[in-house]
Amino acid sequence: MIHKHVFAKRFLILLISFLSVSFSLFAQDIAAGKALFMGKCASCHNVLKDGTGPALKGLEERHKWADHKELQAWINNPAAYMAKDPYTQGLKAKYGSMMTAFSEITLPDVDNIVAYINDAAIVKAVAPGAGTAEPEGDQNAVIFGIISLVLGVIALILMQVNSNLKRLSDEKDGLKTPAPIPFFRNKTNIALISIVFFVFGGYMVAKGAIGMGRQKEYQPEQPIYYSHKVHAGINQINCMYCHGNVWESKHAAIPSTNVCMNCHKAINAYEKGPKLYDEEGKEINGTAEIAKLYKYAGFDPNNPNQWDPSMAKPIEWVKIHNLPDHVYFNHAQHVRVGNVQCQSCHGEITDMHEVKQVADLSMGWCINCHRETKVNFNYDSTGGNKFYSLYEKFHDDLKSGKMDSVKVKDIGGLECQKCHY
Amino acid sequence: MKRLLIFSGMLATTLGWMGCSEVRRDPGTVYMPDMNYSRAYETYASTEALKQAGVNYTATPVSGTIAQGEAPAYPYRNDSAGYAMSAGVKNPLDPTTVDLKEAERLYLVNCGICHGKKLDGNGPLWNDGNGPYPSKPIALVGDEKYEAMAAGTMFHSLTYGKNAMGSYASQLSTKQRWMVITYIKNQQGAKAAPAAETAAKPM
Repeated sequence: MIHKHVFAKRFLILLISFLSVSFSLFAQDIAAGKALFMGKCASCHNVLKDGTGPALKGLEERHKWADHKELQAWINNPAAYMAKDPYTQGLKAKYGSMMTAFSEITLPDVDNIVAYINDAAIVKAVAPGAGTAEPEGDQNAVIFGIISLVLGVIALILMQVNSNLKRLSDEKDGLKTPAPIPFFRNKTNIALISIVFFVFGGYMVAKGAIGMGRQKEYQPEQPIYYSHKVHAGINQINCMYCHGNVWESKHAAIPSTNVCMNCHKAINAYEKGPKLYDEEGKEINGTAEIAKLYKYAGFDPNNPNQWDPSMAKPIEWVKIHNLPDHVYFNHAQHVRVGNVQCQSCHGEITDMHEVKQVADLSMGWCINCHRETKVNFNYDSTGGNKFYSLYEKFHDDLKSGKMDSVKVKDIGGLECQKCHY
Repeated sequence: MKRLLIFSGMLATTLGWMGCSEVRRDPGTVYMPDMNYSRAYETYASTEALKQAGVNYTATPVSGTIAQGEAPAYPYRNDSAGYAMSAGVKNPLDPTTVDLKEAERLYLVNCGICHGKKLDGNGPLWNDGNGPYPSKPIALVGDEKYEAMAAGTMFHSLTYGKNAMGSYASQLSTKQRWMVITYIKNQQGAKAAPAAETAAKPM
């Protein structure tokens, strides 16, 4: 009896250890396969999507790849394998290039890589559907509105009740009250209302007149819902990747379609970012917006190798920040020489899905910044812009303590002709 | 009756006001349009009207010309023969006089997004497979194949694009592209011999 019990226990231990060993072996397969895949395959192959080479999901069901020896022969020497194999010849015709040879790949390596591919294909298929955050509606404003409306009505009723009660008590005391004057005939009321109208109306007129020709808050609808938050914020693409001309020209370049296609040739679906909504609260389908780009670019995602970039049509983006023709503004002067950050004038672009104008771009706004901003003056021989060594008087004044810093206004930042000529 | 009319009028105004979207989709009007909108051709304005008036606007420089201070044009075409010959093209820039700080800036702006700050092929768009980019960018430092690759071949790929990568000829001038190549080669060399980096620094 005891003997049997011990035997069962030993068997159990043996079983558990066997299971754990086999499990850890299996796990290592995937880990080793992942390392190999990332190092050698991932530049051209994705598990789920076609890239430079085909998607590798379910590759064992295709051709003879269930036999890993065949697969190894193909990976080790694609040119030799292809010579007598029409299937891989077809692949070359479809994808436009032949696979690089990886002669160092062994049969266990192939097993590991396939194990990783099968694992990644399953895990990825479950993943979507995460991150369903609802947009926060501004319900507070509505609630406050209703409350103040109710309070206003109550106040009116109470005032009415109060005057009625007063009249009743007056009548009881035998006092004669003059006939009540209607609200809108009361001279005090008329005077008060007209003063309020005058002040309020005057304020609105002045505000409107100043605001005319200025475009603060302007947020036009663009031909494609392009989110700066997704590109420059979440994915950390440098502003100058697309707007490189700020470095050398008056204008910040609007990227041509081929610049978009640098990434979107491969990124053909919006999957990993947060849900997108436009300013009206309507949900945006990111993948459909990328499809719009493909239309402009003349790109067929099912046939990427046939793409001819020269047939692309320009996307007519709507310009948001407009200056009147009689103002000169130069991006290179501000960004490259002045070290001004894009965000100083354009606001927190990395948080904006649809870009809007944050600064009012009025003259007062420009001048104010010119008054306060210090230039990159060469206070000593080691730092600053060497150009300012011309300014001998400032160097002398700085030495004698007459000046503590050189600002844009000191080098002509308030001169009319700097911007108007 | 009159009161009802006034009340309903006020209600309609309020509702109309509230119905307006707070998003400003309209740029508004200006005081003096002839001072505000340029009569001369502005950047990104359509050239269609000019064409109809018989004015032809040339968008590209005359073929065969090189801007002052630019590097000589790359001689080969975008085909497999050109790719094979590209290894023979020498970098026209003297690596000791290249402004490596500017070259680094160009690399970080244009290449770092995929190939990574450390040139290890792990930029924010890949991010160990968690980024949106579906294929892994190559490691410029740490992969023997690319450390051994000729500068001319790299230049060929940078000019015309290669595999998933697009052409950067529209974002970087010929000289800038060679500057980026110089920077990459410099970083690859720096990794092989860390002492050489300080010695190679210009100025």
